[in-house]
Amino acid sequence: MKPIMLHGHERSITQIKFNREGDLLFSASKDPKPNVWYSINGERLGTFDGHSGTVWSLDVKWDTSLFVTGSADQTMRIWDVETGVSLECLEQKTSVRGVSFSYSGTMIAYTTDKMMGQNSELIIIDVREPNDIDGTPIMRTQVTPNNSKALSVLWGPLDEFVVTGHEDGSVIKWDMRTGKIMEIGQEHTKQIKDMQLSHDGMMLITASKDTTARLWDITDLEALKQYKTDRPVNSAAITPLVDKYPHVVMGGGQEAMDVTTTSSKIGKFDARFFHLVFEEEFARVKGHFGPINSICFHPNGRGYASGGEDGYIRVHVFDDSYYQFRFDF
Amino acid sequence: MAKKNKPKSMETEENGGVEEEDPDFSDPEDFVDDISDEELLVDLLRQRPKETDGVESVIIVDGVPLVGAERLEKLKNVVRKQFREFGTIINEFYPTGKDGITKGYIFLEFKDRASAEEAVKQRNNHKLDKQHMFLCNLFTDFDKYENITEDFVPPAPQPYKDHGNLHYYLLDENCFDMFSIMYDGGTTTAIYLNSVPEAQEIENRERWTDTYVRWSPRGTYLATFHAKGIAFWGGEGFRQVQKFSHPGVQFFDFSPCEKYIVTFSPHVDQRAEEHQSVVIWDTRSGQKKRAFNAERPPLWPVFKWSNDDRYFARIGEDMLSVYETPSFGLLDKKSIKVNGIKDFSWSPTDNILAYWIAEDKDVPAKVTLVSVPSREEVRTKNLFNVADCKMHWQKCGDYLCVKVARYAKAKREKNEVKYSGIYYNFEIFHMREKGIPVDSLEIKENIQNFAWEPVNNKFGILSGESTSVNVTFFQVNKGQPPTELKKFEKRPCNSLFWSPQGQFVVLAGLRNLSGTLEFIDTKDFQVMQSAEHFMATDIEWDPTGRYVASCVSWWGHKVDNAYWLWSFQGKCLKKHTVERFCQLLWRPRPPSLLTAQDIKDIKKNMKKYSANFEVQDKMRFSKASREIIEKRQKLMSVFTEYRQRLLGPCNERKEERMQLRGGQDTDTLTSNENDFEEEIVEFLVKKEVVLVEE
Repeated sequence: MKPIMLHGHERSITQIKFNREGDLLFSASKDPKPNVWYSINGERLGTFDGHSGTVWSLDVKWDTSLFVTGSADQTMRIWDVETGVSLECLEQKTSVRGVSFSYSGTMIAYTTDKMMGQNSELIIIDVREPNDIDGTPIMRTQVTPNNSKALSVLWGPLDEFVVTGHEDGSVIKWDMRTGKIMEIGQEHTKQIKDMQLSHDGMMLITASKDTTARLWDITDLEALKQYKTDRPVNSAAITPLVDKYPHVVMGGGQEAMDVTTTSSKIGKFDARFFHLVFEEEFARVKGHFGPINSICFHPNGRGYASGGEDGYIRVHVFDDSYYQFRFDF
Repeated sequence: MAKKNKPKSMETEENGGVEEEDPDFSDPEDFVDDISDEELLVDLLRQRPKETDGVESVIIVDGVPLVGAERLEKLKNVVRKQFREFGTIINEFYPTGKDGITKGYIFLEFKDRASAEEAVKQRNNHKLDKQHMFLCNLFTDFDKYENITEDFVPPAPQPYKDHGNLHYYLLDENCFDMFSIMYDGGTTTAIYLNSVPEAQEIENRERWTDTYVRWSPRGTYLATFHAKGIAFWGGEGFRQVQKFSHPGVQFFDFSPCEKYIVTFSPHVDQRAEEHQSVVIWDTRSGQKKRAFNAERPPLWPVFKWSNDDRYFARIGEDMLSVYETPSFGLLDKKSIKVNGIKDFSWSPTDNILAYWIAEDKDVPAKVTLVSVPSREEVRTKNLFNVADCKMHWQKCGDYLCVKVARYAKAKREKNEVKYSGIYYNFEIFHMREKGIPVDSLEIKENIQNFAWEPVNNKFGILSGESTSVNVTFFQVNKGQPPTELKKFEKRPCNSLFWSPQGQFVVLAGLRNLSGTLEFIDTKDFQVMQSAEHFMATDIEWDPTGRYVASCVSWWGHKVDNAYWLWSFQGKCLKKHTVERFCQLLWRPRPPSLLTAQDIKDIKKNMKKYSANFEVQDKMRFSKASREIIEKRQKLMSVFTEYRQRLLGPCNERKEERMQLRGGQDTDTLTSNENDFEEEIVEFLVKKEVVLVEE
């Protein structure tokens, strides 16, 4: 079916995410205004005004009450989704790279950049009282210099641990209470660009600049599968219908800095669908004319959305043929 | 004077006014020299003249005419003339008998050893006239061979090493072909068997070669380059079968029958007695056959071989030197004198070579065919207004096409001649017909590329400007100009590649033409397939003409390095993306042993055979798909088991999860449907503009 094109950002998209029910789609870009859209018709519901730099990451609480963004303006903001009002602005010493709500939504974990003599840090704060957030970390640990810079961050199921993806390709699992390292997964050879959980929170998919995506068991960080392409992978997602349609979708393409006059055919900016178990590619979706920076499935598994370097977000709903396709085995 | 003195006085002032004295080097009175000259002056003493000095620069020439005293001076002049070119003769001695007649042998002393050696090499067995032939030897050699010790043992012959059947790969019952690929920027070389449905890796070695690899022309050996020389690999398991030590080797070439190889190295070993930049080796024994000096850097190949390895030739100033094997001497001891020779080439099937000479004032340019070893000119053709010639032999040796670039005007500027109004003539020599008739074809456009069909009588030309190329196919006929068969206009291509078996051709727009490929059947000139391999740099047909490989080499393009295999009809069979892939080379096959009649019979019964092959293919594919399915089933059962293991703990902790989210069950999308709030979203379904009349 023809995708819905969302054009509300002035610069390239950095991250997109559906809320838990899937009726809303949140998006952040290199311009300072994150947007929220109705996913069903692509109408823009509103913007979150307040940042003054690139918004690197976002997350939305499970009940869609709170929304958090991390920005290159060295602040993290927590917003009221309903009103679009910035409830809190926490100033940091460097850019905020990754942000994530815990399962319960009572805590936020975020990572900061290594910059200007500051170390990259992983910090957890308490947000039980949205109207009275003091920003004092309940856990704070230095990522560098012992490990390379942390980029993305995710909570494991049940608020017990967080997982970070790093510049050197490592994936690290941290104890939420002590800040100690529990596991290190060292499989990727280059920077982790994105991490997403399966809907039950038991599996993790990582996208890396080393042109592959990998599937992990979240408990012991055992690498389960590898999906190979020939271009950097910026984002990868697992379908919520994983037991019926075991698919993953990956987005990426030739890096923005290498794209000068290359046509989209060579850049390979397609969204690529792989069989989760067989690691075989079975479909591609064209459309973007720059690399895809963020991709995610709709929570009902009946469509997906992708946001690209070209500044567009494309919301797709699967045709019947998607459900009819079966691998022989 | 005053000026000159001034700085001197200043200097003394700076030194504090101390007068400098010369140091005293003389020995104290009681000094005893306890170091001998031998110890102190090793280098100098070595150069001290010895009685026997100059012995090694003396040669003995036998076979000199016997003359009396009255004609001795005349003889001396003749001899001097013969030997002057190798170096200054500083002494000569003509022994005479009692009757004053010379004894027929003479002694000549050159200024150094190198000249003497060169003289022996060049003039030994040299014919002075009908009756007299020089026999030259180094004076020291007499001594050397006379004084062979009693206990001399001739070197034991090298034990024979059995390398197994070097042609084992031809016995593959499926007749799959092999190819080599280099990747990882050249550090890894692998050999594959192009089997159906998946190519099998046979060998994979890191740092197999320092630069690149080559197959021998009949596919027996794989040659690798190393700092110290060339190594050959072959037989089952690709063991090393031969090595040729030539430090710093840069180029090398096989003779067509693989009997010999030629290597070139710019590296000069100062200790070696003779400079050997070009060396010819025997492939099987690894022996050095002959070394040559080459001006550096040489125009490679220095030597061109005749089809049967019997002769090889090189071009010199106004001459063509043809050497013969296995003696490695000049054919008839003499080069062929050809004034103004520019280039030459051998027929790929006969011992005929073609050369062309440039225009010289009123003498026209000329293409000449010479039969070797008789040196008989079998055909010459004069050509006018020639700027350049290129010779293209058809692979079966049936035709020779000389592409002649002709000019309308020539301007002489300083030492360079500038041509304008260039147009082209193709001179087709019919080698198999009596008298070798020549047909001519004129093309006004710029020629981009030319290629003969390897068998049969067609050729293709790419002409025009590089932006819009016309592809024209011609057929050569007996006794009349070639006829145009088909013209494809304005194609995005810059090269054409014929199948080794003829008939099929691939038009390719390589490199900057983004890699468009057209597969054409020249029987009816139908374009069977148009495809693209973006940024393709190379096209390689397999030796049987069944498959084509298109490559994007890391040497030419830095990203998306890959090789794709196509069927000859243009069906893409497999795309292999390989990290920093450099080169694909098919292993050549030796010529078929079947007679023409055999081949004809096989072609006639093609249906019978092809049915057989189809059955085999089907079996292979069904086996492959069965294997894939088995593999998938296994993967799926492993994964299902893993998921089951996960679900247990996941369900157990459902309570905890609900607790964390305020008692709501959010495990599935609809599990907390009761908590949903409804909202109305308006859609714009249709837009209609109706003009309302006022």
